[in-house]
Amino acid sequence: MSREPRRGERPSQHDTGRAEPSADAGRVAGHDAGALALIRASPGHVATALAGIREPIVVILLLIAFFTSISGKPLDGLLMLLAGVSLAWDAGHRARHPGPAGNGAAGVVPAGASPASTGSASTGSATGGTGMGGTGMGGAAAVAGAAPEPGQMPAAERWHRPLLALAWVLGGASYVVVVGSFSRYSWPATAAVVGLGAAVVISGWQGPRRARPAPGPLLAGTVPRRGLALWGVVLVAGGLWELGSLLQQPTLTASSYAHPTISTLTDPVLSVWSGRSVVLAGWLLLGWFLVER
Amino acid sequence: MNSHDVTVAGYLVVLSAGIILQLLATRTRARIPSLGAVLAWAMNTRTRRVGMLVAWAWIGLHFFAR
Repeated sequence: MSREPRRGERPSQHDTGRAEPSADAGRVAGHDAGALALIRASPGHVATALAGIREPIVVILLLIAFFTSISGKPLDGLLMLLAGVSLAWDAGHRARHPGPAGNGAAGVVPAGASPASTGSASTGSATGGTGMGGTGMGGAAAVAGAAPEPGQMPAAERWHRPLLALAWVLGGASYVVVVGSFSRYSWPATAAVVGLGAAVVISGWQGPRRARPAPGPLLAGTVPRRGLALWGVVLVAGGLWELGSLLQQPTLTASSYAHPTISTLTDPVLSVWSGRSVVLAGWLLLGWFLVER
Repeated sequence: MNSHDVTVAGYLVVLSAGIILQLLATRTRARIPSLGAVLAWAMNTRTRRVGMLVAWAWIGLHFFAR
């Protein structure tokens, strides 16, 4: 699957450090050259943030902020706006001030190679990999934190791993039980969720937790776009269905039995302690899954 | 079948479609990526990775925070 350049792709190239084929690069250059030159010529943080808005994920976050705010959750909306603008500024900053070419693919090790054998954060660029940290943030740390093969681990580390895993499980279980005991929308629940969410986002900003394998079939281009598009259709259909229900409510802040949103449908589950704990556990597992990507 | 049922049925259709895609991806040789592979693809740059984590945090905020 060849990734065609789109608007907003250029910052990603700085992220990945991957050299696009010259024809693609030419199309990107032709498509974006004027806008990019204008943005680069513009002074100040506003222009930097504007450059980052070309990233689709930033647009999605800003849309979430907007719809959350008008749906009666101003704190959510403000936090999303803050995150979206920060991300836009970060992406724009890296687009305007690209780092050294070797930094782009930090945190990626080629498939089948042990991290110990690769040794440096520059390995990913040699593989044409898709790493994090366009400015090199987190890449070296990610490789340093890469897990060696079990047989190569020192005895002490073999003990530490299960203990650490047990600590994470116990911590997570305590979290879902304690936070699940709080009423929804209470300040204790808000503080617990905002605190964990912020910690995860900030840690994610540093780069992946450990070295990532080189691109699999999906990233390497052997999976057709159609498969990816099918997932896109499902996700967009779900989003539009939810949006349609939201807009058919009496008001944006009043739920409707006739046109329930997902939030309305989950209200009965989240009204009891056990339901909140189960949903929190699912949220934690999803977060762990994403952090491990 | 009233509006409530239709709305719920719509969600179930979307959910079923996702489950079918995941099963096709993992249980057959269909050239469809699994959801995990799609997420890995979606997070292969720092901007998109952080964006996905922010979206995850928003889910928790939406359901639990004031």
